Amino acid sequence: MEPTIQVESGIEKKMLVGQPNWSETVRETVKNFYIYFVLVLVIVVFSVARLNEVAFFERGHFLNPDNIINLLRIAVPIITLSGAFTYLMIAQYIDLSVGSAMALSAVLFALMILNGFSFIAAAILTIIAGIVMGSLNGFLVMKLKITPVIATLVTLSLYKGIALLIVPDGLSAIKGSADQPMPAWINNYARQDVLFGLPAAFYVAIVLIVALVVIQRKTILGKYTAAIGGNRTAADLSGINAVAIVWLLYIIVGVSAALAGMARASYMSMGDPLSGDGMELASIIAVLLGGTRFAGGAGAVEKTIIGAIIVICMTVGMLTIIPAYWQTFVMGSVLISAVVINRLLVQD
Amino acid sequence: MEANEVRSRNSFIGSKISNESFITFLMIGVLLLLFTVAALFVPNFYTSRNILNLITNNWYIIILGIGVTFLLITKNFDLSVGGVIGMTGVLSVYFVQAANVSQNPLANGLGLPYGVAVVLALMCAMGIGGLNAFFVVRLKVPSIIVTLGTMMVARGIAQIVTQGAQRNTSLPDVYGVIGNLAIPGSQVKIAVLIMVVLVILAFIFERFTAHGRRMYLIGANSEAARLSGINVSRHLTTLFIISSLLAGITGVLLASEFKAGISSRGMGFEFDALVVALLGGVSIAGGFGSVLGMFVGALILSVVTSAATGLLLSPDWQFTLKAIAVFIAIVSQSYLLSRRKG
Repeated sequence: MEPTIQVESGIEKKMLVGQPNWSETVRETVKNFYIYFVLVLVIVVFSVARLNEVAFFERGHFLNPDNIINLLRIAVPIITLSGAFTYLMIAQYIDLSVGSAMALSAVLFALMILNGFSFIAAAILTIIAGIVMGSLNGFLVMKLKITPVIATLVTLSLYKGIALLIVPDGLSAIKGSADQPMPAWINNYARQDVLFGLPAAFYVAIVLIVALVVIQRKTILGKYTAAIGGNRTAADLSGINAVAIVWLLYIIVGVSAALAGMARASYMSMGDPLSGDGMELASIIAVLLGGTRFAGGAGAVEKTIIGAIIVICMTVGMLTIIPAYWQTFVMGSVLISAVVINRLLVQD
Repeated sequence: MEANEVRSRNSFIGSKISNESFITFLMIGVLLLLFTVAALFVPNFYTSRNILNLITNNWYIIILGIGVTFLLITKNFDLSVGGVIGMTGVLSVYFVQAANVSQNPLANGLGLPYGVAVVLALMCAMGIGGLNAFFVVRLKVPSIIVTLGTMMVARGIAQIVTQGAQRNTSLPDVYGVIGNLAIPGSQVKIAVLIMVVLVILAFIFERFTAHGRRMYLIGANSEAARLSGINVSRHLTTLFIISSLLAGITGVLLASEFKAGISSRGMGFEFDALVVALLGGVSIAGGFGSVLGMFVGALILSVVTSAATGLLLSPDWQFTLKAIAVFIAIVSQSYLLSRRKG
């Protein structure tokens, strides 16, 4: 059979035709910028929604500086998680255990702080735990060849189970008691003002995201990730070690989950084994809103972060205008709308 | 070729039975083994009362497992079943509650007759299945993402209708009948009988109908199935709707049992349904598995959890135990099947 050359990407098509194809250009522009439009829309809606009660920028208004700072603080875990999650989705893999891994990290971190570890020691050990959890996921998926969804559902149950087992009977979380108080400085990481009113955890998340963006754009790992997700067979044939790469991606996600768990434990001053419930859903929503192809092969970390901020704006802003019991329905609808937008704009 | 045949006949498990029957028999063996071990170590385990409980306690997971198994065979997930249970239970209560009887909004419903209310609630459940099918079949979105979304939508509807709590007042007596009715002369609930009937029907569907056999072909190679003239879209749509309908039936039965529409009912059941299917040897690689295997898987799960409770392990153990059981099941089944192929 003779080899055939197929022109796939829009850019090459343009080069061949020699002049810009306007409908294609419009489509590309919408595809690249709709996420920012959605963010602005969400912010505008929440800003205008309660104008009859609170004026612009006043205390209680959505755009009040204190509110924005608080929102960014709350957003730290989801930002931390969803950045690395994007890589996995680009490679056409998934990790449903991120929420449980985060909760287990939070429990471990709180447990160590409670038992007199220094911050640095506890942080390093938590990150090591994250590496172990990510490696286990990678091992199940890449070595034992268990379908990612099943393998990570198994570890979801496992990590959550371990977190529940660590918490002593009769308590709902690892927290300070009368005879063993939780050191007050556990809060500092996720609450103390470092710069512009934002805590260290926020800047750690930003550094992580910048690193992930740079890695995705400038290094071979980013290219290989896209290659694996775009066409696995072609990637294998061109000598990419997909097993090692995806395994590494799972480890990166594990480390992100550990960092997110630390931030959550520090923010809440306790290690709650259920604090990660639903984080995998929030991450998936953020990644899909951010326009990562669910068939793999393309996506951008920075857009996922915008998606994550939209998710947080929705969860926080929604509480101000409708009762809390609407939350699940709205987030489910957002997920389905994200799928539809994604399908209409991003997929070929 | 001949050498191959001889080798497969001589390999330690090579015989004439199909791979599915082989796995089912294997899991029955595992079940008996686990049961014996549990009977030896756990006090009061080997009593007729407990054995009956082991078989009947998990009826709702088994009903859900039927739909989930069928979809897994076609390489699709259905994670929305737990949400559908909550939604159907709450909606059936809401439809049947008397209208305008109280100041409390949670005590007022639509006042429909019982039968109409149940049918409407089941139709809503099928609507969720239709939504799943639409996204998976028409928009080609992976089922895992879609059904996570519809899980939240269904659960969300349950929470909105109950304002995040439950509806349990101004219900006619007839509402609580079917969930609590026992088979005459025993303590076994009618729901268990429904489960058994559904399992038998599912078994007949899977083994002896053209639709059932095509399901396996779709799972093994959906492109080949399409090219050989099977309407894959219609089959998948039917299966998604069946799965949601089964979840809806479960939801009505569970709501009737407590005579209340509780918005959090059925949380995590989607995971349990998946667990029993995987324990029973259903493969997500597609085209492989059986309802009987799933049934045995459900019994294994109930032996394991019941033994753990009997050994006075804290309930916190259940997550870890399920994870380990599924992991062992998947790895050992794929290992044995690869050995069997020779």
